[in-house]
Amino acid sequence: MKKVVAWSAEDVSNWLSKEGMPEYIDALCQMDGPALLKLTETDFQKPPLSLLSSDAGQQLLERLETLRIETHIEAHKNGHANGHIVRLPNGTTKPQRNGSLAMKDFSMEMIHIPMPTIEATRSSFPVEWGKTGVAFIYAVVCFVTTTVVISVVHERVPPKEHTPPLPDKFFDLFDRVEWAFSICEINGMLLVGLWLIQWILLKYRSIIGRRFFFIVGTLYLYRCITMYITTLPVPGMHFKCSPKLLGNWEAQMRRVMKMIAGGGLSITGSHTMCGDYLYSGHTVMLTLTYLFIKEYSPKRFWWYHWLCWTLSAVGIFCILLAHDHYTVDVVVAYFITTRLFWWYHTMANQQSLKETSQSNPFSRVWWYRLFQYFEENVNGMVPKNYQLPFSWRALQWNRGVKYSRLDSQ
Amino acid sequence: MASQELVDTRDSATHNLNPGMEGGAVPGSGKTCPVHIPGGEDTKRAFRKGIGRHNDYVKISVPDSKVNLLPTEWWKTALAVFYAGFNLVLTTVVITVVHERVPPKESSPPLPDKFFDYIDRVKWAFTVTEINGMVLLVIWTIQLFFFRYKSIACRRFFFLIGTLYLYRCVTMYITTLPVPGMHMTCAPKLHGDSHAKLQRILQLISGGGLSITNSHLLCGDFLYSGHTVMLTLTYLFIKEYSPRSFWWYHLMCWLLSAVGVVCILVAHEHYSVDVVVAYFITSRLFWWYHTMANLQTLKCSPNNYLTNTWWNPLFNFLERNVQTSVPCTYSWPITWPPACLKNPCKKYSMVQSTREE
Repeated sequence: MKKVVAWSAEDVSNWLSKEGMPEYIDALCQMDGPALLKLTETDFQKPPLSLLSSDAGQQLLERLETLRIETHIEAHKNGHANGHIVRLPNGTTKPQRNGSLAMKDFSMEMIHIPMPTIEATRSSFPVEWGKTGVAFIYAVVCFVTTTVVISVVHERVPPKEHTPPLPDKFFDLFDRVEWAFSICEINGMLLVGLWLIQWILLKYRSIIGRRFFFIVGTLYLYRCITMYITTLPVPGMHFKCSPKLLGNWEAQMRRVMKMIAGGGLSITGSHTMCGDYLYSGHTVMLTLTYLFIKEYSPKRFWWYHWLCWTLSAVGIFCILLAHDHYTVDVVVAYFITTRLFWWYHTMANQQSLKETSQSNPFSRVWWYRLFQYFEENVNGMVPKNYQLPFSWRALQWNRGVKYSRLDSQ
Repeated sequence: MASQELVDTRDSATHNLNPGMEGGAVPGSGKTCPVHIPGGEDTKRAFRKGIGRHNDYVKISVPDSKVNLLPTEWWKTALAVFYAGFNLVLTTVVITVVHERVPPKESSPPLPDKFFDYIDRVKWAFTVTEINGMVLLVIWTIQLFFFRYKSIACRRFFFLIGTLYLYRCVTMYITTLPVPGMHMTCAPKLHGDSHAKLQRILQLISGGGLSITNSHLLCGDFLYSGHTVMLTLTYLFIKEYSPRSFWWYHLMCWLLSAVGVVCILVAHEHYSVDVVVAYFITSRLFWWYHTMANLQTLKCSPNNYLTNTWWNPLFNFLERNVQTSVPCTYSWPITWPPACLKNPCKKYSMVQSTREE
């Protein structure tokens, strides 16, 4: 079939009869291909075409439009066939007799196959450092609040002469050992250091970091509440609490800064304030770092897990041995930390728990919306893959292919 | 002849297969899940017998579509009641022991508490708490009476109460808090007099530990508050096992519970931290248990950290055969004999009769 522009008058007539519009044959018998293509609506408003057409030539015009498109496609056949979006004329109220473009003429074999636009494949574990930043800020706010509350509570601690230490079963069984608290703090620092190294080597550090900051922040927030509402007396007469600064805001501010700078540890000399007993922040850190280390390291490193468990357990035991916290502080801290950790991770790993529903009682916690914000794009369990934080290839001068257990960037 | 028999048995096997397949597969039967073992033993025995007799046909075990998803198993409920009873008695014993160690209020004054600083003591507030507690307990009992799956709900209630009181034993025992207010009159200490102590224990149990019944004379059981536990837990159970549309009912019970808890503090009977910790532990334990029980996918999931608790074996034992979340249906617990109710017209009622199984 030759192109429309090359049609003669006879071809036009043939086409008209084939299309089922014989009424136009006589009127358009003089037209050849290009003239046919130039037909417009205005032509149908003047005689003789207005007399012949019952629909102001709509049907013929539609067919012409299709012809024009075909011509256009033929012209651009080689380079542009993929990108064309063939649009049939809009506003067609009459049913087309022949259907689609492809079926129109068997010699014009044009089948349009829509190509799906290739979207970037979405990873199940998107990085989203922004959310990790939010979690970090949340943790920092909670830490600062805790420090301020400790400073406030310190003013209210009853003096140890006035209110003696409460009876505690552990203290009855074990006498105080002076250097035990340093062991606890050294263990704590070791565990935090180990966790930091492990975290840097993880592949999905943004997601895991987010979780750590959120859980730590929430635990310290709970701690603020329990410390503030009821003030326990000092657990032992050996305590040296710094003097109370009644109403002196500037000195209190400085004290808060000093505590933050020292991380609240005795070793750094910033643990001079009393009253922060229920519940124990040291236990929280020891337990939580151990749980995270164990969770995000390969299962076969059992010796590593055992080492961290020992560090953690010895640290907690030493808190009590040093008579630095009541037993109930440590027990409650352990309980709250483990429950929150397991709760959060179960929710994060099960897709069905990420929706609020009647059958999901977990969604009734107050931090559920925050949890959804952090974990909505994480699908499934975060794999424990390791990856060096910087690109190793820049430093590599080995020509051979190297296989490594670490993921490359 | 043998081939004829073969064809017949094969036909019967296919006949067996078809209705079973419409019933759907038993959940978790494919994987080796420690919780769901759908009646494996009987089928295995029958299979072995069949194999012995006729070596020429293969038995395809069809999952029984009529398996009861919510078996009653009253004996498990009895065990849960026993567990709760044991823990309550243990708590009473521990209170008696701890009472001996409470420092006298002259030497160890009440600890500073934020709530006590703001609100002064009101004498009759604790009575309000106890009345609310008793009302809630009665309401829950009535609701349980009409609940269709009493045994399951009862079992859960007693298990949770038992565990919460067990935790309470631990926290009460390890550290003894002083009395929260100078108004508290503690019974004198019985140094070593076991007989009198036993009497005290019995008195406490018989009175249920309430002040109204004059059995709340012992001090030292402050961390954490048992009254808060009861108030919170009964409310949570009432809300969980009643229709969602009864919002007025839920609101009323919530008010009873909240007023009761606040009155504990107003009466200066417990420190604020006791109440807060009790609420926290109760609500978390309740939600944890019910999430594990309701989401069947969790039971066999490998990365389910909820199984890291110490009471997980107990939970598995109690909830092993409960394969779906308990629907909220009510029924008359007593069935009238049919002769009494001769109704020519069929009556439609919102309450499901137990006869319609």
